Amino acid sequence: MLPSLVASVPTPPSIFAGATEALAVLVLFTVFAMLREALLRSQVKLYALQSLAVCALAAVLGASQHARDLYALAVLSFVLKVVLVPAIVLHLLGEAEVDLAGSHRFGVATMVLAGIVVSGFGFVALGNVHLGLAGSGGLPVAVLGVAMATVLVSFVLAMFRSDVVSQAVGFFSMENGVSVASLVFAARMPLILEVSFLFDLLVAALAFGVIMRAHHRRAASLSTETLDQLRG
Amino acid sequence: MQLPVQAVQALQVLVVLVAAPFVSGAIAHIEARIQGRRGPRVLQPYYDIAKLFSKETLLPQDASWFFLAAPVIAFTSFLVVPMLIPVLTDFPLPLGYMGDIMGGGLVLALGGFSLALAAVGTGDPYAQLGSSRAMTFGALIEPSVLFVVFAVALITTTDLPYAMAAVDRSSLAQAIRPAHLFAAVAFFLVVLSDTGRIPVETHVSTLELGMIDEARGFEHSGPAFALLKWGAAVKQLVLYVILVDVFSAPWGLAGSRRLGPVLLAIPILLGKALGAGALFALIDNSFSKLRLYKITEFMASAFALSAVAVLVLYLGSG
Amino acid sequence: MSAVLVALVAVPLVAAIVSWWAGPRLADVVTVAGGACTLGLCLALVPTVATGGHGRSVSAFAGWLRVDPLSMVFLIATAFLYAITAVFAVGYAAADRSVTVTYKRRLFAGLNLFAWAMAMAPCVDNLGLLWVAIEVTTVVSALLVAIEGTDAAIEAAWKYILLASLGLGVSLLATAVIYHAGSYTLGQAYDLSYSKLLAHSARLPAGTVRLAYLLAVLGFGTKVGLFPVHTWLPDAHSEAPTPVSALLSGSLLATSFYAILRYYQVAQRSGAGGFARDVLAGFGVATLLLGTLYLASQRDLKRLLAYSSIEHMGILAIGVSFASPLAIAGALLHVLAHAAAKGTSFFGAGSVVRKLRTKDLERIRGAAGTLPWSGPMLVAGMLGLSGMPPFGTFRSELSIVAGGLSGGAGANTAEEAIAVALVVLATLGFLGLSWHLTQSLLSPTPSGSVAKGETSWLIVLAMSLGLLGLLILGVHPPSQLSDLLRGAAAELGGPR
Repeated sequence: MLPSLVASVPTPPSIFAGATEALAVLVLFTVFAMLREALLRSQVKLYALQSLAVCALAAVLGASQHARDLYALAVLSFVLKVVLVPAIVLHLLGEAEVDLAGSHRFGVATMVLAGIVVSGFGFVALGNVHLGLAGSGGLPVAVLGVAMATVLVSFVLAMFRSDVVSQAVGFFSMENGVSVASLVFAARMPLILEVSFLFDLLVAALAFGVIMRAHHRRAASLSTETLDQLRG
Repeated sequence: MQLPVQAVQALQVLVVLVAAPFVSGAIAHIEARIQGRRGPRVLQPYYDIAKLFSKETLLPQDASWFFLAAPVIAFTSFLVVPMLIPVLTDFPLPLGYMGDIMGGGLVLALGGFSLALAAVGTGDPYAQLGSSRAMTFGALIEPSVLFVVFAVALITTTDLPYAMAAVDRSSLAQAIRPAHLFAAVAFFLVVLSDTGRIPVETHVSTLELGMIDEARGFEHSGPAFALLKWGAAVKQLVLYVILVDVFSAPWGLAGSRRLGPVLLAIPILLGKALGAGALFALIDNSFSKLRLYKITEFMASAFALSAVAVLVLYLGSG
Repeated sequence: MSAVLVALVAVPLVAAIVSWWAGPRLADVVTVAGGACTLGLCLALVPTVATGGHGRSVSAFAGWLRVDPLSMVFLIATAFLYAITAVFAVGYAAADRSVTVTYKRRLFAGLNLFAWAMAMAPCVDNLGLLWVAIEVTTVVSALLVAIEGTDAAIEAAWKYILLASLGLGVSLLATAVIYHAGSYTLGQAYDLSYSKLLAHSARLPAGTVRLAYLLAVLGFGTKVGLFPVHTWLPDAHSEAPTPVSALLSGSLLATSFYAILRYYQVAQRSGAGGFARDVLAGFGVATLLLGTLYLASQRDLKRLLAYSSIEHMGILAIGVSFASPLAIAGALLHVLAHAAAKGTSFFGAGSVVRKLRTKDLERIRGAAGTLPWSGPMLVAGMLGLSGMPPFGTFRSELSIVAGGLSGGAGANTAEEAIAVALVVLATLGFLGLSWHLTQSLLSPTPSGSVAKGETSWLIVLAMSLGLLGLLILGVHPPSQLSDLLRGAAAELGGPR
């Protein structure tokens, strides 16, 4: 009875598809971990881990496509997103003695549940979109749902946390989600465009860091509770 | 020489029954070694159980007949489950069709429930504390269990644990598919919570602040208490067997009823269970216990893992 | 001509670098020179680009830079505002004793860099680089908003950079999706040159293009200030230093709208034009409604002008959503007229704030009397914002409404209803603005307060130049400009 059952089981995804999907879900899980994390240095380190997973995705795709472009992209992303951006943010926040990144507006469990609902929405919204992506030289389509879920949960992170570091990390992880999606859609985009996107992100990280530091200097805290004077 | 099918069936239950305290003792020994102590001897739980069987039974004044029956009910229900899961063989035995994964889960829950009910009936504040906490956290971990079951069902189109194991063995692609990996990790977290390990509960001592399962058995004594401890060990081994033989390492099971492979399967099973136990011991000594109110975060993370496993199957490619 | 184009994008960058390294006096001169130079180069390009029915394009750097009539319109708006803001900024900084050297250096270098980024965006022939340019404008302008260093400025800058960056992340997704759409006909690895994309857009898959367009409207719309992602706009525009506010309101919003227009062009040519117009109409009406409703209840002068910008962006979106070329030409004229009017109004506001030392509308009384030149010009500027004749905004809004009512190629009741709503809401906006006008500016000057007189003649000069531009646009736009607008409208009109 068992052999016939095993034979009738629907075919699993190929190892390549399975591995890339597992890596993509790892990217999603780091955002969930960011929802829980309270220490600001850990938040930034989680972002570094997430960027590492994205670089791994690019490298795996490059290996399966034999594309040198993608290897170069993976290396550059590693240097910029795993090393430089976290270093910049941590350096600019170095004088903040407060290690806690601030209070949660809702409980962690509530936020994780909201994240799950939102991920489900992301999966449904793009997981079934028939964009004719078969054989387009990018990651498999199933990864698109995960990427969309990452973007949406990052929005949850940026909206529900009331401190500047979590909001900034929410933006950065949203960019990572968009990078994963672009590996599905536009994997063979000319390297020069991808490089300019990366450098742009670096510049944005600098600006974020500068404003965060200015806020910390004035308010002596990293919380955004005080940033509600301008209304109407 | 082919063993008759009933012998193999009984052997499965007997192995679990007899080996459970050994596994408990071995894990305690490993943990002590990790901490740099010599630790108790590996067979200590057997001596503890034997000692308890020779002691007298004391009852609280307000306890009912259920108080004495509960450990027996729990013990029996824990022993029913080895009939349903792949313990020694990789093909389902006749009684294995009695229940699927869901049925196994429900029977395990019946055992826990009866213990909790008995504890409430004693009127002891600590026992009631323990049983209310156990019921609450048990309810919170249920969605994760359900979603793991759903993931298994979606992969194999059936609920039978044997089928899941067979599918895992069939190809590498099946074994490393994302949904299977995430469901396995989610189930790992469920087992952490159900066997009362860090970060949910510390099992080496009784802390009023954090004890959940430990407190349920406060009022039992004598042979009933022995059955309680033995039952807890059996439940732990059963959960390990499900984790190892269904999800992570379904190899080494006997392919036929011949005596050789079946007997070989026993030490292989114990080895795998001890491996899992060592991993749990390592986690015990690396993390700290969560505050009671933060245990919901742990439950939410387990649920997130299992929910994503199902989503990936259902809406992704697997 | 390509040399002119290269010089156009190089001059503001050079000005930025020089004004950072040089002393404060030199920074003043360099900034004004940079502004004037850029405007001159821009106007020099107009005759070449405006010839012919659809206009021609000028390219440089092997096609990486390219201007056609549509980008020319936005380039003129940016260059004009850059020039007069430079003049204003010199006067504004000179009028305040408390301005430090560091502040001046940061302000001028920042202004030049900001203008450079905004000039680059219409000139790049690549959707990916367009995104990069707009992201650079966000970063530079956020740092400029925070330059004052007060609590409110930092709050405004934080909200701005966070919301705008989140929105631009969504538009990066749009870029990836449209790349995918293009890869059907242009191959797996192609650069996102939109001239190539437009040439092939009839064969792009409509569903993918629709998705890309929607994401682009949501993403770039955050920077344009469309409802519901406009919440950063009043804060950022009111807390920034006044020259920065003028550039933000007058040309950054328009440049971000330019990005949406490029996506609209692709959508239009690949058959999703109706959908694209509906989306713009929906967002436009909501934005216009929101801007108008909030206008009357404002207490802060610069916040009032910021909500007026929101209102005008709504009008722009509505203008483009009408199918007729008349309405689209009107919308493009509105970009120019709004830049001039908003610039003048912000300059006037800056002058009032410098003189009376307060932004609070409840406390400003009789400003037109206290400031004999900039006061009345501020009144004129705010009338220009309300769409009064003889200003350029009247001509543009009239064209838009006429285009909506006449229906272009086939009358449409929805368009007519929207046109009527536009008139009603614009009138409401006028009422709101004129309420504040009469209360604060035209009321009798309280006696014994600040002495009459201007703070700086440069401010007056800048305002008069702005008003002059507005009047020219309204009374008699030069024929080459009209040709340009027609060419750009034809580009956007295109086959359905």
